[in-house]
Amino acid sequence: MDPTFETRWSQFSAKKQAYLAYARPMEQKVGSFLTYRPDVEAPQAGALQGLPFAVKDNIAVKNFPLTCGSRMLETLVSPYTATAVARLQAAGAVVIGKTNLDEFGMGSSTDLSALGKTNNPWDFSRVAGGSSGGSAAAAAAGLVSFALGTDTGGSVRQPASFCGVYGLKPTYGTVSRYGMTAYASSLEVMGIASKSLALTEKVYGVMKGRDPHDQTSLDPAPGVARAVKTIAVLDGLTDLEPAVQRAYEATLDHLKALGYRLLPVHLGTLDYAVPAYYTIATAEASANLARFNGIRYGLRPEYAENPEDLIRKSRTAGFGDEVKIRIMLGTYVLRSGFQDQYYTKAQKVRTAIRNDLQKVFDQADLLMTPTFPTRAFVHGDRSMTPYQQKLADKFTVTANLAGIPALSFPAGLEEGLPVGMQFMAPAFEEGRLFEAAAKFATRVAAPDCPGTSLDWSK
Amino acid sequence: MYQTFVGLEIHIHLNTATKVFCGCKAHFGDEPNTNVCPVCMGYPGVLPVLNQHALELAYTVSLALGCQLSHRTLFDRKNYFYPDMPKNYQITQFHEPVGQNGSIEFALADGTTKKVRIHDVHLEEDAGKMIHAGDMTLVDYNRAGYSLLEVVTEPDLASGEETEAFLQAFQRVVRYLGVSDGNMEEGSMKCDTNVSINKAGAGLGTKVEIKNLNSSRFVKKAIEHEQKRQAAVLEAGNKVSQETRLWNENRDVTETMRTKEGGLDYRYFPEPDLPPFVPDASFLKRIQDAQVELPLARKQRLVREFGLSREQADFVTDARFTADFFEQAVRASAASGGSAMANWLMGDVQKELNHFNLTLEACPLTAGRLASLQSLLDAGRIHTKIAKQLLVSIFEEDKDPETLLQEKGLESIATEQQLAPIVESVFSAHPNVVAAVKAGDARQKGFLVGQVMKATGGRAAPDLVNALLAKFLA
Repeated sequence: MDPTFETRWSQFSAKKQAYLAYARPMEQKVGSFLTYRPDVEAPQAGALQGLPFAVKDNIAVKNFPLTCGSRMLETLVSPYTATAVARLQAAGAVVIGKTNLDEFGMGSSTDLSALGKTNNPWDFSRVAGGSSGGSAAAAAAGLVSFALGTDTGGSVRQPASFCGVYGLKPTYGTVSRYGMTAYASSLEVMGIASKSLALTEKVYGVMKGRDPHDQTSLDPAPGVARAVKTIAVLDGLTDLEPAVQRAYEATLDHLKALGYRLLPVHLGTLDYAVPAYYTIATAEASANLARFNGIRYGLRPEYAENPEDLIRKSRTAGFGDEVKIRIMLGTYVLRSGFQDQYYTKAQKVRTAIRNDLQKVFDQADLLMTPTFPTRAFVHGDRSMTPYQQKLADKFTVTANLAGIPALSFPAGLEEGLPVGMQFMAPAFEEGRLFEAAAKFATRVAAPDCPGTSLDWSK
Repeated sequence: MYQTFVGLEIHIHLNTATKVFCGCKAHFGDEPNTNVCPVCMGYPGVLPVLNQHALELAYTVSLALGCQLSHRTLFDRKNYFYPDMPKNYQITQFHEPVGQNGSIEFALADGTTKKVRIHDVHLEEDAGKMIHAGDMTLVDYNRAGYSLLEVVTEPDLASGEETEAFLQAFQRVVRYLGVSDGNMEEGSMKCDTNVSINKAGAGLGTKVEIKNLNSSRFVKKAIEHEQKRQAAVLEAGNKVSQETRLWNENRDVTETMRTKEGGLDYRYFPEPDLPPFVPDASFLKRIQDAQVELPLARKQRLVREFGLSREQADFVTDARFTADFFEQAVRASAASGGSAMANWLMGDVQKELNHFNLTLEACPLTAGRLASLQSLLDAGRIHTKIAKQLLVSIFEEDKDPETLLQEKGLESIATEQQLAPIVESVFSAHPNVVAAVKAGDARQKGFLVGQVMKATGGRAAPDLVNALLAKFLA
């Protein structure tokens, strides 16, 4: 599929009417975009020439809205473009829209967007996952060749697994964060969702590299060329949804059949990953979101007695409940006198997780886990409490805490819904992720979502 | 019987061409919101990029104040809401500032010196500025993101007067280092003042912080007001409450701004957007090279080396340029001492600067010109009155003293051979006066001197005139 995939998508400008005839009704059903401007010409030069892509609406693109899925920023138009987006544009790709997300990236269903509803292209009654649900859905529905998301604790990989596409979370710092609305600065990185693994790798190659606007960015160290031989897997992994458990077992069999040695490991720190993640993420969020208070940015109340009243009214009306909970939690864990108990301790857990993973990578080339314990759930699903939902992030947040790269890859369908598995690699070893996922695809190809098609490009 | 403890948190704007975390111009007085960009406006998604020059200046000050320099300096976020702060957190330094545990020595009014300990020196960003217009408040973000250096002292100052002297000394230090204008009136230097009083020997009292002090004189007045206010509270058997107060310059009093109960928890945590800064050898070398002889040391050396009086040394060392000017001039005019040069600077030079409304930096008088003026005096080629006349000419015509001397023909008539015939002709023109003086009327002697001066266009060397008169009258 891959060489044709790019060739077909490069027809985007030439076959605009045919594309629109396909895409508009599809988008009506999926609702992946908050801003959709497909009526643009794509440049006909560069490594990504002519390829249309979507950008999650918490990433800045000049003259596009930058709503972050929030009432707060409903009217904000960005005066600048994120570095990674600018690099893709310079390589010939063209932005055709801004995708829906859980407000400020906080959620795993995209149902927490204040500005739109996104459905899973595989089953419109189900969520696309989140927070980059719009990006994964747009990629799966064949509305774009690839889409950018942001991954703070799994926000690219989990919706990718729900929608049956690849989802890459690169090594922290390899892709500039300049232009990415900050939620948890020390954890997050821009990522890619696409039906094509080859294109994902190519896009990553264009985006990565040091950016003078981001002092935490760096040029990835050249990976040590070595073929993946040993893949670590979690010893005695249970408590997955049965369908995911089946897909997981099947994946193990496929990997064995491909000749990989599977090494069962015990990750003692895994149970602490989620609490540590939410402590650090909410602490950073409480500061990062402070600028949205109705004075310079955000909803301005009609009347306020004084600045304090203005801020209170703005944030009360402008933020959704999940955002408020996380800001309050972050404020709580940073209180003076309580930092040792929460924030500092979470940082220690983070270090322990990093060390634990280092030990795994001393013995294995990759670590493989399910991306998420369930497949896409239905809108408004109440079978998990918010607490359980957060616990379900444990496989994904681990990579964010450790700053290492991870790739969610389609691992087949279960009862008509895609299931994703995830490879994690040591920092800067994205190459191993692509290599193993490509091999896996020779046995289990990325599925085509029913009703989606690239036929318009013929 | 009460002892006063004053500690300061001094903020200075560093002289950097651009802001501390973005490339915007750091310049006062421009149209509001013209020196701004997404970064200093805090747009969603922007990131700070640390200005290396600001960091160099911060380390330069730290070293000058004898601080231990951080080998791995970190930034932190200080969280609080304020309408002119775009991000609603300030990037500052809390856990690992640029410098810690320094000290600064300064001179008190009586000429003795005192040492104040420095707790830490840290780099941070300034906020924007609110402009209140009727029932509206506008925000100008030009200042948002200016490089701000905060120097925190220990509570080692004991009075308003001492604190005022300290602030002036501190201002001289930052100006000598060239890191800041240090101008309190223009806002490039600010100072929050912590005051506590207690029974002598009982240690620190309850700390009260005073804000809104934009001159060292106000700092002095506010401390003196607080001393009285807090003493009255203690006398009445009450406790001083820990609070932040604002100086009201119209009423000369401090007023409650917020009490400790309403105090802020800044929830400091490490800034994830800025990696630690580790100074390397070449950075540290630049910091070393940027060090200068500090004002107090220089003053003490000038007293020692040139025998200046305290008053002269104070004047000469107030600005580094004046001190440099002074030393250059003294060294260029080999014959004369420093005292004469200091007197020039304090007296006639200052008078002409005032008259022409010029600064020493930007006036026609150079150290070389002052030195050659003094050399003409020392060589007896001109006398004092002519020298003063030449100084004015330098300011008016921007020429060297020697050139002016030639052009104007002002060289002294200083030999008996030249002057004797002139004295003789004055004597023969005024025989009655000569007779009267000879008869003992000393008052009329001045008339004769005046006539000689008149006849020579003022060029006669006064000593010689007196000597010749005495000789001819004898």
